Amino acid sequence: MLKIEKLSVSYGSVRALTDVDLEVRGVGILHGVIGPNGAGKSTLLDAICGRRRPTAGSVRYCGEDITRRSVSWRRRQGMARSFQRTSIFQDLTVHEQLRLVAQHLRDDRLDEVIEVMDLGGYLDQKAGRIAYGVQRRVDVALALIGRPRLLLMDEPGAGLSATETLRLFEHVRDLVRERAIAAVVVEHDVDAVFACCGMVTVLDLGRHLATGAPEAIRADHRVIAAYLGTAA
Amino acid sequence: MSNDAMTGDLHGTATGALGGRFSRVSLAIVASAIGLGAGAIVPTYVAGDFVLRLGSEGLLLGMLALSVAFLMNQAGLVALGAASMYGGAGYLFAIGMSEWDLTPTVALFAAFLIIIAYATILGALIVRTNPLAFMMLTLAAGEMISHAVLLEGLRDYTGGADGLVVRLKGSILGIDVADLADPARFWSLAWIVAVLAGLAFWGIARSRLGAILRAVRANEERMRFSGFNTFVPRLIGYVLVNVVAAIAGFLHVLNAGFVSPESLGLPVSTNALVAALMGGVAGSFGPILGGLIFAFAQDEFGARGLTQLLTGVAIVVFIVVLPRGVVGALSSALRLLGLRQETS
Repeated sequence: MLKIEKLSVSYGSVRALTDVDLEVRGVGILHGVIGPNGAGKSTLLDAICGRRRPTAGSVRYCGEDITRRSVSWRRRQGMARSFQRTSIFQDLTVHEQLRLVAQHLRDDRLDEVIEVMDLGGYLDQKAGRIAYGVQRRVDVALALIGRPRLLLMDEPGAGLSATETLRLFEHVRDLVRERAIAAVVVEHDVDAVFACCGMVTVLDLGRHLATGAPEAIRADHRVIAAYLGTAA
Repeated sequence: MSNDAMTGDLHGTATGALGGRFSRVSLAIVASAIGLGAGAIVPTYVAGDFVLRLGSEGLLLGMLALSVAFLMNQAGLVALGAASMYGGAGYLFAIGMSEWDLTPTVALFAAFLIIIAYATILGALIVRTNPLAFMMLTLAAGEMISHAVLLEGLRDYTGGADGLVVRLKGSILGIDVADLADPARFWSLAWIVAVLAGLAFWGIARSRLGAILRAVRANEERMRFSGFNTFVPRLIGYVLVNVVAAIAGFLHVLNAGFVSPESLGLPVSTNALVAALMGGVAGSFGPILGGLIFAFAQDEFGARGLTQLLTGVAIVVFIVVLPRGVVGALSSALRLLGLRQETS
C-alpha cells in the first residue's frame, strides 16, 4: 500500500528525517508511529501526504512513485489525512463542509461517516462553535469522506483527555477494520497506540528505530532505552 | 441523494421547508424583474439630464465596486487594480474603433478577449499568493498599465496625457451607439447591465463555485487535503470580476466618447473599494447602491469645494456607524424586526 524508501527531510540545516524506510502493508489495522518530541513523526506524515517535499528518497503508494504528486491529487487517489491542529471550516456548519467535500469526492455515503464519527447532533451548528473534542471528530470525518484507502492521522488525541483519546482510537480502529483500509496514526499517547494499533513504528531523532507488533516493540531494548524507559 | 438536491441544500437554510424556499426564490425573481424594468424606465421620466448622468456614473462605479466586493467577500482577496481593467478595456475598445477602424461590435469583442487573456495571465500569477501580496500585486500591475498609456512610443495609439476621443458610429447588438450619448438612454442601459451583473454575482455566490471560493478562503490547506484544486476556482473568480470591470469600462466609453489616463488611475480603484464598503460588500446590491451614493455624495461635496475632506469624513462615519454598509445595516434592521429569516 505505502512504501517509503530512504526518505530524508531537512528544514534548512536541520535534518528532521534521515533515511527512513517504512512499509505499511496491512489493511484493517492501525499502524502507529510513536517517538519522543522532535523524532520527526509529523514530518513523516507531511512527507507522505505531500505537504512537505522530501529532500531525498521516495514515497510509493499502491506501487506508484508519488513523491512529486500534489496534495489534492493524492487525496483524490484515496490518501486522506487529519491534522494535529484541527483544520476544519470554522464558518461553515458541520453538514455544509462535510457535504461540500462529499460532493467533490463523489461519496454518496456521507451518512455513514456522520454516524461513525457520531456527528448527527451537530450537523447544523457552525463548526467553530462546537466543543473542541467534537471539532476533532469533524476533522477526522473530513478525512474519512470519499472512502480513502489510506488514512493518515496526526495526533488525533491532541487536546483530548486520555479517555477521549482512547474512545477516538477505538472508533477509528473499528472503522479501519470494517472498511479494510490502511491507516497510519502518529500519536503522543503511547497507551492508546499500544491498546489499538496492530503495528507500531518508533522514530527517534529523525531515524527509524524499530517496527513491529506492539508486544515486540514494548520488549525491544533499543526502544526502551531511547524512549519508553519510564513509560512502559 | 441526487447531486442537484445536494447543491440546492448546501446553500439554503437547513431547516427551511422546500416549499418555503421556492416561494422565496420566485418572490425574488418577480421583485428583480420589477426592479429591473422600473429602474430602467422611471428615472428617465422623473430625473433631469444632470442627475441621470451622475447616476450613470454611479452605476458604473457600482459595477466596479461589485467586482471588488465579490472577490473580497467570496475569496477574501482585495484587489486594487479594478481601474486598470476598467480603463484598459475602455482604451482597447477606443483604439479598436478609432485607430483600427473596427466596427463597434468587433472592437468590443476584440477588447473583451484581450482583457480576458490579460486577466487570466495576471490572475494565474497572483491568485496563489496571500491576500496582502495579492493586493500589492494588483496595485503594481494597475500602476504599470496606467503608466504604459503615457509612454511616448504609444502616444499615437493612446493619445498620451490627452487621452483619446472616439467617434461613435454604427451599432452594437442592435443599439445605435450614437444614441448612448443621450443620458436617459444610457441610464437605462447602464441600469440593466448593472442589475444583470448583480444578479449574476448573486447566483455565482450561491453556486458551487461560490461555496468552494468561500471554503478556500476559510481554509485553503484543508481544501487541498480534501482533494480540491484551489487555484482554478480562484482564477475563475478573478477573471469573472474583471469581466464585469471591463464591461463597466466599455459602457463608460460608449457614454463619454473618450478615454483618459484618469480612468486607469488608482483613485478609480480606491473609489470602487470605498463605494463597496459604503453599500456593503456582503451582497450584490450593496456595492451598486454604494456606487450611486458615492457619485451623488462626491457631487454634493464638490459643490462645497471640500471633496477630499468630506469624503474622508464620510468614509470614517460609514465604517464606524455602518460597518456592514447600508445594505448590511438594512438587512440587520429587518432581521431585528423579524421580517427576514436568519441565513448563514
